[in-house]
Amino acid sequence: MTNLTLSHFLLTSAVLFIIGLIGFVSRRNMIVMFLCTELMFQGAAIAMIAFGRYHLDISGQVFVIFILTVAAAEAALALGLVVLLFRYRPTLSAEAWSELGEP
Amino acid sequence: MAPGIIYTSCVLGAIAIYVLLSPGRPALKPVGIVLGLGALGWVFKASIEAVADGPAGLGIPEGLTDDGPGVFFYVFSAIAIAAAVRMITHSRPVYAALYFVMVVLSSAALFLLLEAEFLAFALVIVYAGAILITYLFVLMLAQQAPQPGDETAQPDYDVFPREPAAAVTVGFVMLALLGDAIVQGVLFLDPPAEPTGPVVSENIERVGLALVGDFPVSLELAGVILLMAMYGAVVLARRQIEMSQGVPR
Repeated sequence: MTNLTLSHFLLTSAVLFIIGLIGFVSRRNMIVMFLCTELMFQGAAIAMIAFGRYHLDISGQVFVIFILTVAAAEAALALGLVVLLFRYRPTLSAEAWSELGEP
Repeated sequence: MAPGIIYTSCVLGAIAIYVLLSPGRPALKPVGIVLGLGALGWVFKASIEAVADGPAGLGIPEGLTDDGPGVFFYVFSAIAIAAAVRMITHSRPVYAALYFVMVVLSSAALFLLLEAEFLAFALVIVYAGAILITYLFVLMLAQQAPQPGDETAQPDYDVFPREPAAAVTVGFVMLALLGDAIVQGVLFLDPPAEPTGPVVSENIERVGLALVGDFPVSLELAGVILLMAMYGAVVLARRQIEMSQGVPR
């Protein structure tokens, strides 16, 4: 007897994705905002693996490897930018940079 | 599962997350926790009852007993969701990063349930081991000096979220639509594939063969992305900037 269906895992991944979205929109700390994007990556990865398991297709897992790659690249670049911005103005608030634009 | 359950639990969850996000009313926090756990438990109970009616399962053995529900799935999914909520509601970024480690660990457990063993361990090594350490280092590099006299004071941008009501509304309207689409939509999928024979190779072997055999161009592109990210990080880090002494805004 088997009890877990595809929609269990899809609902979990949807909830994680939406929580990450809410955090990204509502938090004001730049580092926490990037952490919330990583949470959205997690939700997407669970959906990929669940679909791969459903169709018994290994390419879902291969796609998650690429998600990990992009997440690592994004973390390196985004955190480098955050350190750079912190040296200009000693605050992590995203709103300190809200008036960026053409001079 | 009836759509009413999804909509109602989305409303409950939205109220819970709004209460937990907004600062200043600590008396309401237990109400938010109870509401959120209640909504989660209600959805879990409804899904246990729904699978008893028997849509197509994934063929995953359900855990400790032969006839129980998928104990491991429910436990780890609840841990992941609770830790994610705590992560976006905690006002200290270091704790948010640590709660994210908890989300990563429990979703690695979900990967194990889905028979993706290699990725479960890769997730722990890459995410919890490497990426989160980078985040923690940057959090330590970019800490503001504590205010004299009150070392535990936190900056405003960590305590007060921006437009929590609008964010929660948008998020949970999306979640209601998404949940409804998932619950209705999986009925239209093809039935799950059955394994045709005994599994002859390990998971890591199949992932590796698919990676170099079926997606060689994507593999090369991933290498290019990593190289470019490394160049970008080096270029960003080499720039010399005097620490500004201005007043933080």
